[in-house]
Amino acid sequence: MSGGQIPPLPPECMEVLKHVWDFLDDQMSEDATERLRAHIAGCEGCFQYATFQQNFLDALGAMRRRWGVKPELREKVLTALRDEGYAEK
Amino acid sequence: MVWAQREGLLADGQFFGQDEFVSFTRQSTLTVTEPPQSRSDRDIAFEREALPWMDDVHRFALSLTRDAADADDIVQDTYLRAYRSWHTYLPGSDCRRWLFTICRNVFLRSREREKPTVELEDVERDVIGSGRVYAAALEEGYTDLFARADILPAIQAAIEQLPEPFRSAVVIVDVEDQPYEAAAEILGVPIGTIRSRLFRGRRLLQERLMAHARDAGLAPRPREPKEAR
Repeated sequence: MSGGQIPPLPPECMEVLKHVWDFLDDQMSEDATERLRAHIAGCEGCFQYATFQQNFLDALGAMRRRWGVKPELREKVLTALRDEGYAEK
Repeated sequence: MVWAQREGLLADGQFFGQDEFVSFTRQSTLTVTEPPQSRSDRDIAFEREALPWMDDVHRFALSLTRDAADADDIVQDTYLRAYRSWHTYLPGSDCRRWLFTICRNVFLRSREREKPTVELEDVERDVIGSGRVYAAALEEGYTDLFARADILPAIQAAIEQLPEPFRSAVVIVDVEDQPYEAAAEILGVPIGTIRSRLFRGRRLLQERLMAHARDAGLAPRPREPKEAR
């Protein structure tokens, strides 16, 4: 699936489209970050788009709380470490 | 001395007595930091600094193998290797990053030969591809897709199905919240490669999750009148 069609966008909105992940990942220069931040704050469409992308990154981050190790594996690792000389408190 | 010789970083003629502990920074500078750890000291430090990251190492191992049994073996091997080489861990440094690096190496060693991977240079294509996903979400009423609780199981499944090398980049940066620089160190590739893998992985995930929303019949969000911000 390739998604929907992107309508022609003004240059400032195109910059947001191209750099939204760099922006959200804090990978841009201070100047460029401020420029995008100012545009996003004043552009409804770009604000909604950045929110969509931020929600996506937040959802990926939430996986960390859902996706834990099974108690059996933890015990298996500890047993192997004990065989290696590891002593628990 | 023995540790330093193992790492091959000591210049000829240097000598460190048995009462000194030798550790290295990433720039290979040599520092004498503290007396050698007794076994119990090592165990206490290992328990405090390494064991709490087992969930994280397991997620990373699973992202590499996509097979639960293989991931379990890799986690066990990672912790055994970490315990055996605890003397090479620099106290106060990022233990999770150190464990991920070991985990990645264990995984690579467990494979006779890694499948060749394609490095994709066209990062812009992926970012714009993500824009197309958003355009579709806008048309179909799924702009809140990633804020919904019912999408989380699908996200986990989509990450597990993501092909390498994109999966590792997504798991390290987006799930484990590591900076690009750490991901580059763990995976042994330049930061630019992490960025391209990450962006491709994100685009693929978004495409699959939009497809999932349609296939699973997730209710689109009703259209609301625009609110003034």
